[in-house]
Amino acid sequence: MSARAHAPDLAPEPAILLEQVVKRYGAHRALAGVDLQVRRGERLVICGPSGSGKSTLIRCINALERHDAGRIVVNGIALTNDEGTVQDIRQEVGMVFQHFNLFPHLTALENCMLAPRLNRGLSKAQAEKLAMAHLERVHLADQARKYPARLSGGQQQRVAIARALCMEPRILLFDEPTSALDPEMVKEVLGVIEELAASGVTMICVTHEMGFARRVADRCVFMDRGEIVEEGDAAGFFEAPESERLRHFLAQILR
Amino acid sequence: MTNLSLADLAGYLRQLGEGALITLELFLASFTLAFVLGVLIGVATLSRNRIIRAAWRVYASIFMGVPSLLVIFLIFYGGSAMLAAVLGEFGARIDISPFGAGVAALGIVYAAYVAELVRGAIENLPKGQFEGARALAIPPFIMWGRVILPQVMRLALPGLVNVWSFMLKETPLVSLAGLQDLVAAAKIAAGATKEPFIFFIATALVFIAFSAASLWLANRLETRLDRGQRRAPVRSPARAEA
Repeated sequence: MSARAHAPDLAPEPAILLEQVVKRYGAHRALAGVDLQVRRGERLVICGPSGSGKSTLIRCINALERHDAGRIVVNGIALTNDEGTVQDIRQEVGMVFQHFNLFPHLTALENCMLAPRLNRGLSKAQAEKLAMAHLERVHLADQARKYPARLSGGQQQRVAIARALCMEPRILLFDEPTSALDPEMVKEVLGVIEELAASGVTMICVTHEMGFARRVADRCVFMDRGEIVEEGDAAGFFEAPESERLRHFLAQILR
Repeated sequence: MTNLSLADLAGYLRQLGEGALITLELFLASFTLAFVLGVLIGVATLSRNRIIRAAWRVYASIFMGVPSLLVIFLIFYGGSAMLAAVLGEFGARIDISPFGAGVAALGIVYAAYVAELVRGAIENLPKGQFEGARALAIPPFIMWGRVILPQVMRLALPGLVNVWSFMLKETPLVSLAGLQDLVAAAKIAAGATKEPFIFFIATALVFIAFSAASLWLANRLETRLDRGQRRAPVRSPARAEA
């Protein structure tokens, strides 16, 4: 494992704590009682076949999906149905989506400025400065005034990453950030995420990019049918999978 | 121009002008009401609440099914009684003018159409737009105002332009409740001078001018709402400047 830029915070409290989290869609159990702890500064990769519940899991963390049972604690805040609590958690957690979800009627810069202006009370000039800094960080400062439709998929996803960073979140969630991209654009997006990984922010990334997982992840989690089947450090996970299900999955994707 | 002196003509044309102004005011007021009410209702009907959905169905089937003229009459002749029933003594003292009845009736009727358009446009927006806003902790009110509705307006614009043109053409109905609008003025002038062609054609020209102005406005609005929608031009050797 590579050396970290910042040592993880030694506070006993985890960045994210999930206890017996259950999510149902009708009779189907998308999450069948998941336990997971993520340390501060940890970089976690979640993989698994489609429908295994991995996206549902991270979407429960910022309450885009409401869990039906169990406990979710984010940065010490227990997630409840209270709107204030949900907003508090969302302030701490940035999310990057598979389909970017940029606002098409706003420029790259405006996409990045909207939330900080509302939630952090920044003036227009301050928000613009912040947004430009983060667009710079994803190497898109020169595209700031363009509308999303004028950008390539890879550029759009990098704007989406910058937009999430503008809230200066302590936790970043990535929901299959490269799955909707053309192959030639995957690298530029993963490159940006790898640079972020070195900054010490807590990260959970749902991805099938196993090379990326090996380079970046402190720990990998394999999910299937709404459960965590296996977890381990990146090296052991790929070279010596214990469960039959993970071996089968790896054989499928590495074919 | 046989038996019409120039002075008379000028006088009647001035009345036509005043009528046109009233028509325009009536139209703008009722469109604004229809738009605001329609957007609110359109957003509200997305609620999962059964009572709200049922109320919407009743409202839509009444006002989309009943002729606007009937609604105008109902409000003009029955409005005072309705207000009295709702507000008691105070309501009974409110006098309903033809203009007020017209604005209320056209506003309420066309709000149903606007609501339908807005509702359809919201349902066609990708869910990710809502999720993107929610994940950024953007409060719901601002999410609607800054993220969702601007996109909804773009999607609903062609339909809204239709509603706009339709409403413009329905405004003369209010003259039947006694409003001295453009068509009422034309009718008086035509009757008094026995020159129906001059005044009715002049009136038609005013409506054509209104709708030409509407078209121009709609195009400007479309350009504005479409910003950001054009994809990057495909580079081709023939159009190197792109």
